Amino acid sequence: MAGMTPAGMGIAPVVTAAGQDLSDADIMLRVKAGDSAAFDYLVQKYRRPLVSFMYRMARNSAVAEDLAQEVFLRVYRSRNTYEPSAKFTTWLYRIATNLAVNHARDTRYERPEVSVSLDEPDEETGTTFELRDGKLTAEQEMVRRERLQAIRSKVEALPERQRTAVIMHKYQQMDYKQIAEVLKLSESATKSLLFRAYETLREQLKDFI
Amino acid sequence: MTCKQIREKMPDVAAGLAGTTSEETRHLATCASCAGELEEFRRTMALLDEWQAPEPSPYFDIRLQARLREEISRPQAGWLAWFRHPVLASAFTVLMGLGIALFVADHHGAFTTQDDSIVAADIQAQPGTAVSDLQTLEKNHDMLADFDLLDDLQVQNNVTANP
Ligand SMILES: [Zn+2]
Repeated sequence: MAGMTPAGMGIAPVVTAAGQDLSDADIMLRVKAGDSAAFDYLVQKYRRPLVSFMYRMARNSAVAEDLAQEVFLRVYRSRNTYEPSAKFTTWLYRIATNLAVNHARDTRYERPEVSVSLDEPDEETGTTFELRDGKLTAEQEMVRRERLQAIRSKVEALPERQRTAVIMHKYQQMDYKQIAEVLKLSESATKSLLFRAYETLREQLKDFI
Repeated sequence: MTCKQIREKMPDVAAGLAGTTSEETRHLATCASCAGELEEFRRTMALLDEWQAPEPSPYFDIRLQARLREEISRPQAGWLAWFRHPVLASAFTVLMGLGIALFVADHHGAFTTQDDSIVAADIQAQPGTAVSDLQTLEKNHDMLADFDLLDDLQVQNNVTANP
């Protein structure tokens, strides 16, 4: 794969000679035909959403990057057998979900409780906080971190399918239909799955709402 | 329009993934319970927004590129891949050694196969003596050890063939 697009470069739209936009499935068919630029395009388009999906599934940014790369490697490996029977993103998120769920199962007993302490920078995100800029008082910052920790741990505590559905719905902006396809559920089952998940979150986070 | 119908749609409406139809808007205007529920959903969604994800690191593409190169340069599961497996490579070395030993032994007329047993006669030991019996046991032991290695090799091949 000689010509991977450098980081930060914009995603050039892939268009046909007739000037029509190609679907991701069409672009995947180009990858299948050996077009490495087509693969670069998919990487540039989906690396950010995949890293953020994996981060919320695995709650660790280094692991998230590793898993997101693994998704792309699997896409690349399966290029020869790819059939555009489902929407490209459905296929992509199915690969991602399987990887994330397996990772969570494999490391279930290794993962420490999420803790966000006031004194240390957030190890998981490397995020710098507004505290340093003096925008928040130490007390406000503490409250904010407590709230963040509650959000993470309550999402984490949801049953596996509810958690995956919430992460796809809330953070990946995927609709019921798409989530249903990824999880191989009916649309109505997905609706009630999400409804129950949000009800639980609303109840458990009510002190912060 | 029932309360149940509109509530099912609330996660999408609260997340901004769907709008409300005029019928739903009318229902929300008259049903305080549903309006309150939607408001709570909105607040929950806003709270969940606080959990931000990091951007991909600047090394993401470089690492992916390296992993892809490794993937592409990895030889397909042909006979050459066989040499890359350390266990198989050492088993191969043993087999080569065994082959050379057999070749050399054959030239010296050392091994004679009789009824599936191997009789060692490279040193001038009289058949039927204690020395020749010990030599036979020694050779059989070596041969059985080699057979174990061959068994291992067979298993490893199966593993490689059906990953
Ligand atoms: Zn109502």
